[in-house]
Amino acid sequence: MVRHKRFESMQAFQNVLARNVPSDVYHSCAYYEQPDLEMDKKGWIGSDLVFDIDADHIPTSCGKIHDEWVCQKCEFSGKGITPEECPICSGDRFSVKTWLCDLCIESTRVETAKLVDILTKDFGFAANELHVFFSGHRGYHVHVEDEVVRSLDALSRKEIVDYVTGLGLSVLDKSSKEKSIQGRTRVATTKKFSLHNYGWNQRLKMGMIKFLSTASDEDLKKLNNNLFKNKSFILKQRVIEESRWDDVTGVGVATWLKLAEQAKILGSANIDTVVTTDIHRLIRMNGTLHGKTGLLKIEFPTHKLDDFDPLTQAVAFKKDTAKVLVSDAPKFRLGGATWGPYKNDKVVLPTAVAVMLILKGRAEVTN
Amino acid sequence: MMDRNLPIEPAGFTKSDLAKYPFLKETARYLSPLDLQIEDLTSPDMHQILDRAMERVTSAITDLVSNSLIDTQETYLKKESQEIISFPVAIMLISATDNSLIKKRYALAEAKQATNALFSESKEFILKIAFDFGWKIALAPSDSAFDFVLYFNDFLQNASHLHAAKWKIVNSKLSEGNVYLNKRDIIRLLQEEIKRRIDKRFNSVLIEKYPTEISELAEKLKTLATEHIRQTEADFPKVVVQEAFPPCINTLYDTASKNHHLSHMGRFALTTFLVNIGMSAESVTELFKSFSDYNERLTRYQVEHIAGERGSGTKYTCPQCSILQTHNVCKNRDDLCRRIYHPLKYYKIKSGTTLQTQSETLEKLAAKK
Repeated sequence: MVRHKRFESMQAFQNVLARNVPSDVYHSCAYYEQPDLEMDKKGWIGSDLVFDIDADHIPTSCGKIHDEWVCQKCEFSGKGITPEECPICSGDRFSVKTWLCDLCIESTRVETAKLVDILTKDFGFAANELHVFFSGHRGYHVHVEDEVVRSLDALSRKEIVDYVTGLGLSVLDKSSKEKSIQGRTRVATTKKFSLHNYGWNQRLKMGMIKFLSTASDEDLKKLNNNLFKNKSFILKQRVIEESRWDDVTGVGVATWLKLAEQAKILGSANIDTVVTTDIHRLIRMNGTLHGKTGLLKIEFPTHKLDDFDPLTQAVAFKKDTAKVLVSDAPKFRLGGATWGPYKNDKVVLPTAVAVMLILKGRAEVTN
Repeated sequence: MMDRNLPIEPAGFTKSDLAKYPFLKETARYLSPLDLQIEDLTSPDMHQILDRAMERVTSAITDLVSNSLIDTQETYLKKESQEIISFPVAIMLISATDNSLIKKRYALAEAKQATNALFSESKEFILKIAFDFGWKIALAPSDSAFDFVLYFNDFLQNASHLHAAKWKIVNSKLSEGNVYLNKRDIIRLLQEEIKRRIDKRFNSVLIEKYPTEISELAEKLKTLATEHIRQTEADFPKVVVQEAFPPCINTLYDTASKNHHLSHMGRFALTTFLVNIGMSAESVTELFKSFSDYNERLTRYQVEHIAGERGSGTKYTCPQCSILQTHNVCKNRDDLCRRIYHPLKYYKIKSGTTLQTQSETLEKLAAKK
């Protein structure tokens, strides 16, 4: 790894890339007075606010069934999500061969859309102030490079992370009342469900309505049978919008809390918490190749998030073919066509497809 | 939406405003022609100012809020210049003590003092003070239930240091980048900002040698501080009391000793915790030895770095509870957890009671014999 470099010109930087051909290129999100000195001496000026959404860290609808893990100790292997420890020898070190599928990318896209919604509506960034990238593997990066976020310290960034993930939401209002029990005055604390009409509180309200209108009857009954029975009353009478939490017979604080919890899950975005709170973070450089796929990290306009197809639009190698021996690969889509499945097959493939298989450890160049 | 690049208008404070809020930037206008040097403080003309500066610091140490200021509003308004000048003089005096407790105490006292005074000011005046700190703030629309709208980054820089749930931005009234707040909240946030500015002032004092008279006053202040400022931070016990580890650290410790994988944040929290409660870098390295990806040279380097034995020499402290929550390292919270904000505080409280119980048990045993 080559670190702590500074370049006087774009040309000088490109020359170094051309000479060394690194598999991955990163830059710091931080701004330094002296970027080429060691960490303590660089002189931190500020840092962009960055978010990383990666299928590695979140549950995806594909269940990662295409990923393979091998226990480093006993070589026992399996498919899907890597277990905490090996079921055979209890070892906890694995070598993992990942893959990326449409569902992985779709799951991360959904999280990214929620993040973008929070950053624009609640934090007030215009869509064109957000830089949205496909990461080159199975996820997205969102950068805020605006002056107003640069000086935020790690603690403030942590608060932004907590906002995005909905951590620490407090929806109970404690009120104390003096009660007279058998002639003696006691202070009774009651907890009331309470939401205001701003920020996350408003998101919770919208999410509660959404969950109530779309959840299956079974799911609603599971939360609370009275909630199920009063569903249309709550929706028609705008009980949630108008915070009339005491108006529904049989639906009390505990049920509203459960409904709010569902709304929180619906509305929060699953980001890598460490990346955003780190004010010295290194992040993959826009326009460079990802060493695990050969795909580009590539920016696209925020409003194109729904339409952007990484598996065609992040393809870097568009010419020529290569002959490869593919040990094992599932059926997959790349560059506008579908490939595989392969099992010990010798095939001639477009460069981008061959590069992906090789970098994923599934193929070798052959004659 | 409020304009993020709101121009900061010239504040136009009166001399009496500056006497009340001497930390304002405009105070410099009154001070720079004086070109105050440390040697000047010993001259007889400065006697009253030096006395007033001593009074400021003394009451900060003894009463936390320099009440004298408010009580004598009438008198001090007549002596505005003295009030203004005594503030930087107080900063110099405290710098001469080179005592971080006094610095902290004084910054807090002046900030609280200002806070109290701000409650009786108009919203427009509070706005001017906020502008002095470069806040992006405006009055809330008159038909709203709030007094001010504050841009989120100014909210975060100050509210992130406050522990109550209402100060978490996730619970705030945030919309399009603005947080809607009432006067009371704004004043509380300003207190943090004022405290920080005064704290920073101490760093900008560059005096190599203090006149004897000033050094003597500094000694007096130090003595006063040892009498009045409670040493809240009692020392950790000399031995490691594993029974007193907070649940998060226990979980990490167990995982580590079972040779299981720890996240970066987990490893950092465990290492900083152990180093801070007094475990040697040597012993911590020993604990990590069981890891299958253990690399002695690298581990020793990292642990020694955290312990401040390498690199910049800064000893890293353990992350506070809220940070461990954000990164999902906080596990199995118990009752004591709900009362503290920092794993080291948990250890301090619990090790105290654990050791006491142990010694009582030992005494009882000894008595029986």
